[in-house]
Amino acid sequence: MDGMGEKGGAGYPGLSLSWTTLIVVVVIGVFSIFSLYMGFQAYGSERPEQANYYIIIGTTGFAVMGYMFFRARALTSTRLEVPRVYVITTLECPQCGLKRIREFTRGDYVFKDDEPCTRCEGAMTINRIHRREEEKAKR
Amino acid sequence: MFPSVGQLFPPNSDIGMVMQMLFSLTFIIYLFYAQRIQSMTMLRQIEGTLRKVKAIRDEGRSISIQTINEIGKPTSDPTPDVERFLEHFLIPPVSLDPAGIVGKLEQLLDVRENKFEAEVRAMAPSASDSDVNNLENLLEAALALNIYYKVIRHFYLLGKKTMNIYVIMQIHMILPMIMREIKAFSAALQAFKEGMPIGDGVGALTAAKLMHGHPWKEVGKDMVAAQVPMSGRTLVVMKARGPGGNVGKPGKAIQNVLNEWKGRVTAIIMIDAAGKLEGEPTGDIAEGVGAAIGGAGVQKFMIEEAAKAHDVPLYAVAIKEDISHVVAPMEEVLFDAADKALETVRRLIEEWTEEDDVVVIAGIGNTVGIAQ
Repeated sequence: MDGMGEKGGAGYPGLSLSWTTLIVVVVIGVFSIFSLYMGFQAYGSERPEQANYYIIIGTTGFAVMGYMFFRARALTSTRLEVPRVYVITTLECPQCGLKRIREFTRGDYVFKDDEPCTRCEGAMTINRIHRREEEKAKR
Repeated sequence: MFPSVGQLFPPNSDIGMVMQMLFSLTFIIYLFYAQRIQSMTMLRQIEGTLRKVKAIRDEGRSISIQTINEIGKPTSDPTPDVERFLEHFLIPPVSLDPAGIVGKLEQLLDVRENKFEAEVRAMAPSASDSDVNNLENLLEAALALNIYYKVIRHFYLLGKKTMNIYVIMQIHMILPMIMREIKAFSAALQAFKEGMPIGDGVGALTAAKLMHGHPWKEVGKDMVAAQVPMSGRTLVVMKARGPGGNVGKPGKAIQNVLNEWKGRVTAIIMIDAAGKLEGEPTGDIAEGVGAAIGGAGVQKFMIEEAAKAHDVPLYAVAIKEDISHVVAPMEEVLFDAADKALETVRRLIEEWTEEDDVVVIAGIGNTVGIAQ
């Protein structure tokens, strides 16, 4: 595999069809279309036996093309990014019970006395930090 | 049906002969090269996976460098130090004569831990103690990703070089399982970078909920404990010291507590995250007996030894989770499972201990993002 050596760099996902594969696909495609055309011509000329061969060759060509695209797509779709999840922090005022939910920020931890309560004099404590539930459904 | 299919390729026509020759040729090629074709197909699949793993490995490395720069404010570029860190290894002690191997392994792990800590402090001079713990965990996740990448690449290149199907199959067969682990470690990058609670911390979270609001003290390296009264019993609740990423040394801590209370402890209840089987719901609680703790086995050995020496029964509460949850930011269902685990602990205490007893409760796991 190109580029998989330590110094090689590159070799990143996102690889689609290589030029060689693309040329092969195009050639197969042209021949398949030609073959199908010949097949229909042969049917029109009442040569069904010959028409069958042409159509079989044409459809096989398309199947091969489809398979090649499928493989290339499979390789392309292997791109995997480091997942980034949405994490929420829940704060609660131990005095008045006021709750607030916000996005997690670096430095948050469970049982941290965080920001002052907006309803009373107390300080709000972080009592929950977890991923947002929708995250699971999205995936 | 066969005669009608056969009519498509009558051997007496020119095109029929060509088709028959093609089919025969394909058959002969497949007869001799089937294994090679299969090897090539598998190599292609491994190659695709390797590309993914390389991307994740590189991302892990760059996240580590970026976080060290952000938090540690180093005076020089930490990249060479990070690269050196990612190649770190540990040679396990020889097991030909297994007597005393736990002590040797413990010493090696201590040396490794101290070395990692010193290296991270040198890389990130402005980082606080909690940040150093988190950076250490982040670098360890990046190190694990680097090892996965290198092992897969080794088998891929070896397979390509030898075209030996058995070499290729070795890695191909276990790729799905390896990918699950790699995805788990890639999720850990965000958690340790930001200092978020992770799935493994659910045991520590349970203990933290129990001891929060009570005065605590150090009972061993990176371990804290608080005395909590409950139903006429005295609970000694312990966990690793948070909120930095830390698992502590529960073995030594439990030994210290048992020695301190001199025969008054009547039960040890350990709470830890446990791998679930497919089909089991995440966050399910199961109870059993024994030392509920993973890792290299040193801490488990010490806990079992201490429990045996003081004749104290060991009870275990397991919170079920998948490998993908272990080092990823904690799921809500796991956060809620800590409350269910607490209920189980309360029931165990009431069923298996009596009033005036002392019970040790140990919340095991990485306490990143969880204070006490």
